Amino acid sequence: MENIGDHMGKRKKKTRIVIDYSKCGEKGKIDPRDCGKCLQVCDPCVFLRHMTLGVKPKDPYDPQDWRITAVWPSVCTRCLKCVEICPEKAISVSW
Amino acid sequence: MCQWCFKHGAGQKWYLNAKNYSDDLAKELDLEDYLTEQWTTMEQIFIRRIKGFSSIGLGYKLKMPLIGKFIRRGAESMIHSEKKNRKAFRADGHFGQVIPLEDGKIILSELAAEPLIENYCLCRWMQRGVKDACCINFGYNATAIEKFPRFIPKERTLRIDREQAIERLEEHNKKGYVATVWFQPVPYVCAICSCESPECGGLRLTNDFGLHEVYKAEYIIQLNIDNCQGCGTCVKMCQFNAIRLIPSIDRVIIDYNKCMGCGVCRHACKYDALSLIPREEFPGFDGKYW
Repeated sequence: MENIGDHMGKRKKKTRIVIDYSKCGEKGKIDPRDCGKCLQVCDPCVFLRHMTLGVKPKDPYDPQDWRITAVWPSVCTRCLKCVEICPEKAISVSW
Repeated sequence: MCQWCFKHGAGQKWYLNAKNYSDDLAKELDLEDYLTEQWTTMEQIFIRRIKGFSSIGLGYKLKMPLIGKFIRRGAESMIHSEKKNRKAFRADGHFGQVIPLEDGKIILSELAAEPLIENYCLCRWMQRGVKDACCINFGYNATAIEKFPRFIPKERTLRIDREQAIERLEEHNKKGYVATVWFQPVPYVCAICSCESPECGGLRLTNDFGLHEVYKAEYIIQLNIDNCQGCGTCVKMCQFNAIRLIPSIDRVIIDYNKCMGCGVCRHACKYDALSLIPREEFPGFDGKYW
């Protein structure tokens, strides 16, 4: 069996995973630190929970502002479990 | 032995050189503020733009013609950077190696600088959303992490002593976590993690994208065919898909190209069929660290 990453790289079309931050994150109802269901359901660990870089470029550290980003879309297996489980339906996957 | 052993190992493996753990070295490199800044911004490392590129969609970016090669070279030089103008927020000079439990015990019992703490794994919190206390940090790294309550386990707020640290490492290793030792930054050694794939950021970069972030261990697994009974319990211990059970010959086979030499599979074997041998004694795998 090849590594997941190797195999997915040979696909012609890139996977695009878009998270709607008006539903998840700083403006939405749900704090990513409490929810994180997409992180747990994703087998190849595509998502990353992180604090945002913020508006101030010199001091970007803001411990209250957290977000989820699909950081490794190339290892996504397109199982769409994250779309199903998201309580706010904020994730969309296309290819 | 790898290039880092020749450079910082004083004639042996780099992580067995006591100089790399000393407080003097940390003072010389001025690491107190450096490590504090690094842990403040560690969660942002993959989304931050570095030289115009962030790590978002790194797998696709590395596959781009020409630009991919440029990004790979930039990333490699960043990972192995020994320059004076290292930046803490992009984790320059932070890479590691897989070690078996025996070497981990030597480090924790004899070499690691005081104080020792056990903190929540940052990778697992970022990528899997679970809080798992399994990283043992020591020296200046421990004093830096203590400033951040989000990394400190609720049930274990105090520093731990050497016996406790060894006990915890053994516990994690038997659970199936892979012990790794880290430069942070090179040549200062200050962390032993118990990683799992694919949550670990380092193993992600190494196994999925081919960056030289985590070196394979100085050892490789050897299977005693006569002892193997074909029970297959070792298969589920391997984090790297290196072991497979073949029913027709009633034993397991090992993919030596994938074996990182962590020795975790030995804990599962009841028949004493698996053992670690030094990498240079195994034909064809001397000096193959990725």
